[in-house]
Amino acid sequence: MTLPDRIDPRPPKHIYRWDLDKTYLQSEFDTFRQLMRSAFQKASDKVAIPGAAALIRELRARGDSKLFILSGSPKQMRAVLEGKLRLDGVEWDELVLKDNVRNLLRGRFRALRGQLGFKLNALLESRAATPVDSDEILFGDDAEADAFIYSLYADLIAGRVKEDDLRKIVVAAELYRDEVAAIFRSLEKISTADPVRRIFIHLDRLTPPAVFSTFGPRVVPVFNYFQAALVLLGDGALTAPQVLRVAAEMVQSAGYNLLMLSNSFQDLIRRGLPLDKVAASLTQALDGPEALLSALRPMPDIVAAFSKRIAALGTPPAPPAPVSVDYLALLKHARPRTGKQADPIGE
Amino acid sequence: MPRLMPGSITIAFDVMGSDHGPMEVVRGAAQLSLEAPHIHALLVGQRAAIDAALAGIRHNGERISVHHAPDFVGMGEKPEHALRDKPEASVAVAARLVADGEADAMVAPGNTGAAIVACARSFKLIPGVRRAALAAVYPTRTRHGSKLDPFSLILDVGATLEASADDLVAFAVMGSAYARVISRNAHPSVALLSNGTEPNKGPPNVVEAHRRLIAMKGLHFIGNVEGVDIPQGSADVVVCDGFVGNVCLKMLEGVHDTVAELARYAYRSKLKWRLGLAMLSSGIRQLQAVTDWQQYGGAPVLGFNRILIKAHGRSRARAIANAGKVAAKAVAAQLPRAIAEGLRP
Repeated sequence: MTLPDRIDPRPPKHIYRWDLDKTYLQSEFDTFRQLMRSAFQKASDKVAIPGAAALIRELRARGDSKLFILSGSPKQMRAVLEGKLRLDGVEWDELVLKDNVRNLLRGRFRALRGQLGFKLNALLESRAATPVDSDEILFGDDAEADAFIYSLYADLIAGRVKEDDLRKIVVAAELYRDEVAAIFRSLEKISTADPVRRIFIHLDRLTPPAVFSTFGPRVVPVFNYFQAALVLLGDGALTAPQVLRVAAEMVQSAGYNLLMLSNSFQDLIRRGLPLDKVAASLTQALDGPEALLSALRPMPDIVAAFSKRIAALGTPPAPPAPVSVDYLALLKHARPRTGKQADPIGE
Repeated sequence: MPRLMPGSITIAFDVMGSDHGPMEVVRGAAQLSLEAPHIHALLVGQRAAIDAALAGIRHNGERISVHHAPDFVGMGEKPEHALRDKPEASVAVAARLVADGEADAMVAPGNTGAAIVACARSFKLIPGVRRAALAAVYPTRTRHGSKLDPFSLILDVGATLEASADDLVAFAVMGSAYARVISRNAHPSVALLSNGTEPNKGPPNVVEAHRRLIAMKGLHFIGNVEGVDIPQGSADVVVCDGFVGNVCLKMLEGVHDTVAELARYAYRSKLKWRLGLAMLSSGIRQLQAVTDWQQYGGAPVLGFNRILIKAHGRSRARAIANAGKVAAKAVAAQLPRAIAEGLRP
C-alpha cells in the first residue's frame, strides 16, 4: 500500500486538497532543461515553499482531517515525492499522480499538458469517497489552471453548474471522450453539498491578484502561506498559536522578516479580507499558554507591526461580493500555458 | 536612528504628485518589488487609488505596504501655503514617516518645492550644512567613475536662490560624497562654475569658496569651470548657486529639445536629409539610450540627515523604480554620514 494508514478511525471532517509543484514544492520546469533537472532530483534536493509544510502540519493537527495531494507530476516520481513529504514531516492520505507514460503511449498529447480532465476527475472521484458533511480547503497555484479547476469542482458538487453547462465546458476545453465520461460517472456518485470553504492560489508567478477576482471571494490568491494561515485564522480553521508557528517556521528557515510578514498581512486587509480581529487574537496568543512564542523574535514585533499596518490604512473597504462564475468565458484559465506567461489572462 | 529592519531598505514613495497620476508611481514601485528583493516600497497617498492601481499589476505583496494620506500638493500650488493648508498631504506624510524611521528614504515625483519644504520640516540638516541643495545629473561627452556613467552632477539647481561661500563649500563636499557613493567614483573631480577659470574670477562668494576649497584635504577640487565645460564633462561635480544652476539646467534641456525639434524638421523637409537621419538612426538610438535620464531615476536633495530623491514629475514607471534603487543605494552607503564626515573640520 502506498498510502500511510489512517490512525484516526473517525470519518474526516476537514479535507485539505493540495497541488504539489509550485504549490507545495518550489519547482521550475518552464524549460526542457529545468524539466529534466526536476525529474531527476532526489527527495532531499527538492525544496518546499516556505511555510507550506508547517501549514499542513497545523491543519492536520486537528486530527479529524484528510490530506489529498493531487499533482500533474508523472507517476514515476512517486517515490521521490513521497520521500520529500516524509522528510518534511507531512502525513498524507492520498497522493494522486498523472499517468503521463500512458498518455504518451496512446498519443494523447492534449492530456499530457492539459490538467482539467485529469484533475477534475481525480477530485470528483475522491469526493465520491468522502463523507458528505466534510468541508474542504483547496490549495493550488497560478502557474496552471488550479483556480479554474478548483472553482469548477466546488460549483459542480454544490450543484451550481448544470450538466448542460458542464458538457459545453468540457467540449470547449477539448477533453478526450473517456475523460468526459469519467467526469460524469464520478459526478453521479456525489451527493450535492457545498463543502469548499476556501481556494488558496499560491502566486508563484506573481500574477496580479485581481486576475482571480472573476472567481469570487472564495478564491484567495496568496503571496505566501503566512497569508493563507491568517485567512484560515479569520475563518476559524486555525488558531492564533498555530498561525504563529507557521510564521516562526518561515522566519527561521526561509529568512522572512517583520516587514515581509506585516506587509503580507496588510496586503490581505487591503484586498478586503475580514481580518480585523486577527491582530488582536495573535496578541492574545502571545500572552497565553503559547507565551513561549514571545521569546521567538521577532514575533512580538510582528504582532505590534500588524496594528500599525492596519492604522496606516484608514477606513477598511467592503469585502468583495460573491460572484457567479462564467466558466465558458474563463476557459482560457484552463488551457495549457505556453512559455513563461505572466498570468493566464494577461496584463 | 537604527534602520527598521537590518538588511532591508524601505523607500517611501509620494504616490500622488506625479504628472501621470498615482498609476505610474505604483507601477514603478511594483517593478521595484519584482527586481530588488532587499527594497520595500511604502506607498503614501490615497489608499483607494493605490489599491486600484496595485490590484491589476504584477507585484510582490511581501515587499509593498500602503500608508493612507488623504490630501496631496498639486504641481501648481505654492509649497508653503499648500503644506500649511494640507498637513496630511502625501508628501508631508511621507517625509514624517521617513523622519520617524518607518522608511529609510523618500522618492517624490511631484512639486519640487513642496518636497523640499516637507523634508525641511521633518528632517534635520547635517551639521555644517546651512541649506540643502538639489542636485541634477546631466549627460556629458566624457564618462565618469568606475561605472563609466555618461553623466555629471550639478548642484544646486534650485533649492536655494543665493548661496554663500560656506554653502558652496558644503555643496562641493555633498556632491563629491554623492559621486563617490552612487557613481562609484573614488576621487570625483569637483569644480566651481564661474565666468572664467582663474581663481579670482566671479562674484565674491565664488572667489571665497574657491580659496577655501583649494585648501581642503580629501576633496579633488580642480578649480573653476565655465558654462562650456558643463556638457563636455570637464568635472564630475559642478557647484553653483541654485539660481545659476537652474538657469543652466533649463538651458541644457532647452538645447536638447531644440536639437530634437530640428531633427524632426529635417526629417520632414528633404528626402536627402531623411535618408541621412535614417542612416544615423541606430547611432541616434544609442545616444538616446546613453543620455536617457529615466535610467538615472531622479535628482538627490543633499544636506538632510535623510535621503530624498526628487523624481521628475513626468517620470514613468522605470524612472520611478530607478529612483527607488538610487535611494536604496544612498541609504546602504550611508550617504548622510559620508557627507557629515567630509564636512567635519
